[in-house]
Amino acid sequence: MTTIEVRGLRKTYPGGVEAVKGIDFDVEPGEVFGLLGPNGAGKSTTIGMLTTTVAPTGGSARLAGYDVAKQPLQARSVSSVVFQEPVVDGSLSGRENLELHARLWGVDSARAARRIEELVQVLGIAELIDRKVDSYSGGQRRRLEIARALVSKPQVLFLDEPTVGLDPRIRHELLDVIAGLRAREDVTILVTTHYLDEAQRLADRVAIIHHGEIVALDRPEALLAGLGEEILEFRVERDAESAVELLRSLGVAGPDAFAVGARVTVALHGRPAADALQEIDKHHLRPSEIQVRRPTLDDVYIQLTGTRFDEAA
Amino acid sequence: MSATSDAVSMPLPQARRARPASALFTLARRRALLTSRTPRQIAVPLVGPALLALILAPALQKATGGLHSHIDYTSFVGVGAIGLVIPLSCVFAGLSVLVDRHSGAQRELLAAPIPRAYLVLGNMVVALVLAALQAIVVVGLSALRGGVFHITIVGVAWFMAAALLFTVFMYALAETVASRVTKEEDYIGATPVLAILPFFFAGALFPIGAMPGVLAAIAKAMPLTHALALLRYGFIDPAGKGLHDIWGMSNVTLEAWLSLAVVALFAAALTVIAIRVFSRSAVK
Repeated sequence: MTTIEVRGLRKTYPGGVEAVKGIDFDVEPGEVFGLLGPNGAGKSTTIGMLTTTVAPTGGSARLAGYDVAKQPLQARSVSSVVFQEPVVDGSLSGRENLELHARLWGVDSARAARRIEELVQVLGIAELIDRKVDSYSGGQRRRLEIARALVSKPQVLFLDEPTVGLDPRIRHELLDVIAGLRAREDVTILVTTHYLDEAQRLADRVAIIHHGEIVALDRPEALLAGLGEEILEFRVERDAESAVELLRSLGVAGPDAFAVGARVTVALHGRPAADALQEIDKHHLRPSEIQVRRPTLDDVYIQLTGTRFDEAA
Repeated sequence: MSATSDAVSMPLPQARRARPASALFTLARRRALLTSRTPRQIAVPLVGPALLALILAPALQKATGGLHSHIDYTSFVGVGAIGLVIPLSCVFAGLSVLVDRHSGAQRELLAAPIPRAYLVLGNMVVALVLAALQAIVVVGLSALRGGVFHITIVGVAWFMAAALLFTVFMYALAETVASRVTKEEDYIGATPVLAILPFFFAGALFPIGAMPGVLAAIAKAMPLTHALALLRYGFIDPAGKGLHDIWGMSNVTLEAWLSLAVVALFAAALTVIAIRVFSRSAVK
């Protein structure tokens, strides 16, 4: 059975803001599914609807078969969530926060105690688990929240921008922790992120969400494969859009070439970069800042949406 | 059989959930732990009412000669101070709902497999315990300063019923306001209206008959007036003078039941409203 099933899910906030415009996707048991998009794309609203803290205005969603709108208690009982911003009781100890979660999710005390001991070791917070959470660093707090979400052994784990606001070293450590979870926990993970490398590293499949719509959904490598092995990127002094049109008409660029600002990106699809550059030179485009590199999800995003990822918010 | 019908006929995984009593106990325990680590939430609401019982009541008794009735003024104000300590205690407790929303674990609780009404009720349980302890302290201080109390089993029952229902009403009111406002400043700004203003109308320091007719009529519509009359009926006014000032009947037991019904009605209505407002504000 599909663990997460989303059909035509839609959210329009009062005032008419359409945050999510009818999205569809399925997540299979044990899969790590990434929802990738810039701030304001609709990722957190989607998580809110799946965790029943945002009421959908249309469509449906099921967690382990339970309809989030019609069976919210059951849907919540099979899932846990790590929110984007810290959501903990700071004046309680880490252990008290974990015990609270266990009791509310119906885990008996003995099992909860065993599970807490196991998780604090795995997440590297055993030394500080009896300290007040107010004294934790941002990274420690995040680890605690992940441990808390796992205490009840959820079938579905939602991670809403789990590394946002953390410094790069802590961020990479935490990504290792999350990547390790799938090996030891029997859990389906839906992770939202606006970090492209994070989606590429963690997710089996990625849905790219843009202005409330899913514009692409596939394995990261399949999304990248659409642009081939190598891309040629350069800057032009004239209008970049017309440069792309010219290159298409010459057969140097295909329909997947795109321009953002003064930069032109051409997927080479096996053609040697030197050949392409020779052709470009012939037509006096005067390219500068030339790069030949492997495509990234950022390129996929720009090609699909026409905007750079970090400019889309 | 098609793949679709196979999928439909598959049994859903068991949804594990806490039992209602266990969930409520857990939520109340959480609130108790948080409150115990914020001692000001316990101490601050007590200061004003304690000073009323310790200083103001005996001083006014001496200066004015008291109520010129069978009721001792020190104990009259001592019980009246409960009409300040319960609202202040509940309003302070309501503030923690805002703190929970802004910097606490409210979203985690909203994602828990429990009815959202439990979040209101769990907090309310702790507000009741805290208000009871504070009321006991105020009565104790009043007794230390010479207040005269007639403690009987029936009287204690009336006192407890009135205090409990009034606390439910006040906490539900505080939770409702906390769910409606977005900023702590707005909530703090509402405190005088919620907690202090009714104290001056409800006959906390003097019988409501001492006020002009219009103000007395307003007082009779307020749950605090009924609660104070019942609290005094329980501990210091077995003849039910305060209840008679409200109802004007000859049967004091009937008057007591009517006042209890008024407080219960307010408590029930506000609890329903608090749960509804919280549940709606919690889901966007």
